This record gives sequence, C-alpha cells and structure tokens, in this order.
Amino acid sequence: MEVKVSTEEGVTVITPVGRVDTSTAKAFEDGVMNVLSTSSKVAVRFNEIDYISSAGLRVILMAGKKITASKGVLVLINMPEKIFAVFKMSGFDKILKICPSLEESKSFFN
Amino acid sequence: MLIKIKNKIEEISRVCDQVRLFCNQNDISEDKYHDIVLILDETVTNVINYAYPDGTEHEFTLEISKKKDDSIDIKLVDNGIPFDPLAKTDPDTDSSLEERQIGGLGIFIVKQLSEAVEYFRKDEKNQLNIIIALKNKEEENGS
Repeated sequence: MEVKVSTEEGVTVITPVGRVDTSTAKAFEDGVMNVLSTSSKVAVRFNEIDYISSAGLRVILMAGKKITASKGVLVLINMPEKIFAVFKMSGFDKILKICPSLEESKSFFN
Repeated sequence: MLIKIKNKIEEISRVCDQVRLFCNQNDISEDKYHDIVLILDETVTNVINYAYPDGTEHEFTLEISKKKDDSIDIKLVDNGIPFDPLAKTDPDTDSSLEERQIGGLGIFIVKQLSEAVEYFRKDEKNQLNIIIALKNKEEENGS
C-alpha cells in the first residue's frame, strides 16, 4: 500500500493506493496522522483501494475524532459502492462526512 | 483451494493474493471478491493476533471452495487457544463520533457480509465456518 498526498483547491487530499488491511494499517495511520499535524482541511479519497478492513476504519475514526476536536474538517470522497456499504453498515455514514467528489464537498470546507 | 498460513501479520497480503487467484479462476465478480477478501482479512487477522499467545511460529489452514453457483464456503482451522470470535458484543453503530469505539467492528462486518458464520471447538482446534452467498437477494427476487 502507498499513501499519496496532494493539495487540491486548498484541501490536503490523502489517497491510499492498494489494500488498507491489517498489515498496512500502520503505514496508512502514519500517513494520515502526518497530514493531520499540519492541515485542518483534509479529504481522504477511496477510489484507488481494493478494500478497507476494520484496521483501516479505525484510522479513519481516529482521524475524524482528532480533526473534529481541533475544529478542522475531514471529508471522505470518491468512495466506490462496495466500500461505502462497509462504512454504512458500520454506522460511519452517520458520524463522518462522505461526499461523491472533492468538488461536491466544498460547502463543508467554507 | 487450501492455504497454509503462518501466524505473522505479513501473511495477510499473501492470503489476499491467493484469494484474488481463486476468484479469477472461479469467475467470481469484483463485488464478491471485495466481500470475500474483507471477510478473510478480518478472520485471519483474529487468528494471527489471538490464537497463539506463546509468541512462537505456528501454522493454520484456510480452505475456500465454491459450491455450484450458490455460495463460497470458507473453513478456517487453527490449533491455538480456545477463541470464539463470535462471542464479542456488536458495536453500537448509533453512537456519536466522540463516543464511538472501534472494538468488535471487524467481526461485526464479517457477520453482515456473510450468509452464515459458525464457530466450534473440536479436537483441540478452533473452527470457523463461513458461507458467503454468491447471488444477491435482490437478484433472486428478479428485481
């Protein structure tokens, strides 16, 4: 797994590539936490991963808690249907912001 | 397909590769590959993390097979300490972001994505049987 980081329209976008599984969750966590230490407008893009396991969901939950506590914004974007289904069954769609694209998440960042 | 797995977390990615191969060979859709690989990640991780507290190297087995066009059967057998992953309480999926705990989410997802999951202890071994339906319920209803 690889973690790509870019800046798009003032938002730091984290794109994990490959599998966010138990063996790669630590690398994913390091990548996400690194971004959170310097940015308060963050998006995680999900269309380049095979799947996300509960180890990866844990990282997203931690990131959501951390950024919300510091009045920042975290948005989850470009989520394929199968991955969205996992977020939904976990109840994460009720506590995290999920948007089809970065473009459509703009209102959250203003 | 029979896969022998050592109790090291790095094994997860090799298991995923094997499952990819199995799905390709058996004409299993991308959607079902996603569910199967996620279910296996969660359950195999549980065995690796909890079955062998002595810290030495052990090996356990995963058997995955396709039953006609109806289902995928998974059998995970290890000779570690007694451990029933299904005994965990389901997480509270209605709690707020601040209160939300992560514990128990893995096996909860496994239960949601499977048709049936059963655990039993036999001959000093833990056995977890999982059935994954290949047809979605909507398809069966013709919609």
